[in-house]
Amino acid sequence: MRKSRGLAAVGACLLLAACGTTSENSGTGGAQGAPEKCGADGQYTIGMSQANVAEPYRQRMDDDIRAAAASVPQFTVNFADAAQDNSKQVEQVDNFITQQIDLLIISPNEATPLTAPVKRAFDKGIPVLVLDRKVDGDAYTSFIGADNVDIGRQAGEYYKTVLLPNGGKIGELRGLAGSTPARERHDGFMQGIQGSNIEIVAAQDGDWLRDKGQQQADAILKANPDIQAIYSHNDPMGEGARIAASNAGRADLPITGIDGLPIESGGLKAVEAGRLSATFLYPTGGKEAIDAAKRILVDCQQVPKTQTLPTKLVTKENAAATYAELNGS
Amino acid sequence: MTEAKTATLPDLDRPGQHGLLATLFRFQSLFGLVLVFIAAVVYSPSKNGELVFLDSGNLFNVVRSMSEIGILAVGMTLVILIGGIDLSVGSVLGLASVGAAVLLTENGLGLVPAVLVVLAIGLGFGLLQGFAITSFGIQAFIVTLAGMQIARGLARIWSGGQGVSITYGDGPGQAPESFSLLGERTFNGLVPIPALIFLVVAALAVVLLRVSAFSRHIYAIGGNEKAARLSGVPVKRVKIIVFGLCGLLAALAGIVHAGQLNFGGPNDGSMYELDAIAAVVIGGTSLMGGRGSVVGTVAGALLVGVLRNILGLNNVDSNVQLLVIGLVIVLAAGLQRLRPASVS
Repeated sequence: MRKSRGLAAVGACLLLAACGTTSENSGTGGAQGAPEKCGADGQYTIGMSQANVAEPYRQRMDDDIRAAAASVPQFTVNFADAAQDNSKQVEQVDNFITQQIDLLIISPNEATPLTAPVKRAFDKGIPVLVLDRKVDGDAYTSFIGADNVDIGRQAGEYYKTVLLPNGGKIGELRGLAGSTPARERHDGFMQGIQGSNIEIVAAQDGDWLRDKGQQQADAILKANPDIQAIYSHNDPMGEGARIAASNAGRADLPITGIDGLPIESGGLKAVEAGRLSATFLYPTGGKEAIDAAKRILVDCQQVPKTQTLPTKLVTKENAAATYAELNGS
Repeated sequence: MTEAKTATLPDLDRPGQHGLLATLFRFQSLFGLVLVFIAAVVYSPSKNGELVFLDSGNLFNVVRSMSEIGILAVGMTLVILIGGIDLSVGSVLGLASVGAAVLLTENGLGLVPAVLVVLAIGLGFGLLQGFAITSFGIQAFIVTLAGMQIARGLARIWSGGQGVSITYGDGPGQAPESFSLLGERTFNGLVPIPALIFLVVAALAVVLLRVSAFSRHIYAIGGNEKAARLSGVPVKRVKIIVFGLCGLLAALAGIVHAGQLNFGGPNDGSMYELDAIAAVVIGGTSLMGGRGSVVGTVAGALLVGVLRNILGLNNVDSNVQLLVIGLVIVLAAGLQRLRPASVS
């Protein structure tokens, strides 16, 4: 079975050597990820590797980073978009390493494929901030992101206590099958509705997309005309479901989303206009990432290994205020 | 009899037929590659007085990152030479990457059996598509469009919708460590293994298209299918084999993909079919079939790789990158249209 002993041995050596580096450095609190230079008088180039800029959420993440970096005169940020392609993102991170950037911010498309290039950067002394989605192992400087399980749980609790206190049948619109946030937003929700009489009678994958959300909600409503609400894993699918509900003569069907993007076409405006009953903020972490970068590069300080961003329930009452707050006015 | 008649078929693209101009057009992508390479050197950012683009690590990165598209593009060249198209290769790559990951980890297969099974799946998938095209007379575009969906569906079902991570070791659920060599940067600190595989595949295809009777059949079918059939070329069989080879290479690319990323992704490889077609077109192969070369395709793939790399190193916006590469494709296709006029 393991035929080529020689090759295997070479592989093992390489692997062991690599592992050795990790375990040695993980304990020392980021010696490997510590920057070669820091201080207020330097100029720093930051590479931002984005999984897919076609998603409004990720576009907003880039925008938040751009806006926050504009107030730090020492920073220049270069953006790369992997268009949802793991290989392309690996290539782009390697390009950043070639360019000898001073700090890497990455929001990985998938954890495992991006683990090796992130480690390559980290091992070269480039501090790495991982945003929103994790990588395997601990060869990075800091992870900044919200907790999807917790967001799902809060959504479930909202259903249990506010929306359907007496229980009822609901439909679920899930994100892309196999994606971590889809699984976590579902798992958290199940925890949240535990002990209630709420039952998910239909669940379909909407791939995070508005049009797919509409189609699937259409089918759910036809098959289950008696459902009392739809829990959508993100706002765009929820908006699609709203159209499907109106078409099915259920214009008042409660629908909740997740994300709460503070943009014109985002969930906060949808909640304000009453198209969504509620949404749960999923902060992009863009501003927090630049804050961390500033602490590392300009202030020569260390940052915590994990920074979990809090969510917030947004309803009609606080939607407008939240929108204003997140856009810095 | 067969021999004599196939030899009289239109055979415009074989070497030695036309003058210098024809050679220029014939190897347009090679010249294009040289031009882009020079431009990349000129516009390379520099660090500590050294050109970043020419850094050996960076050059290897270019070849390595283009190797999957390159392998796909070689198979696509054969298909396009017979006047066909294969839209399923990106999805077959995804299916194969999932297959390799699942077989190596969850099923505990050894490296060789796992690779053989995955290659057989790719080959079988391609042969089936070729069979559907030739036997039911459905257009290749339609059959492989369906194949694209089917392969993607199979990949998602096989993986349970989740990406499959590959870890290495001797324990249960771990892949043999030799597979991780695909993901290592280089072999002997010199050549990235994915690039090595790409070059070997391309070399084999070049040989196939130079020496064998099979090659004459391919060009004959692409040049004029009816004439080829009338002159005794086993059109059906050749077509089925070509689609089979294309599927086989897509599976090989999928194995390389999984090895490079330590990961089998059911959603991976989407749109790669278009990148492969782009490499073929930039390489000067006519979408009408019957004319083109694997060398052109290799140059075409590398050209796109170098272009993307230098744009990336200069932090050109990714949307602008798309635009530039799109323009290059149009330019290459435009040059092709010029060719017959200037050659005659």
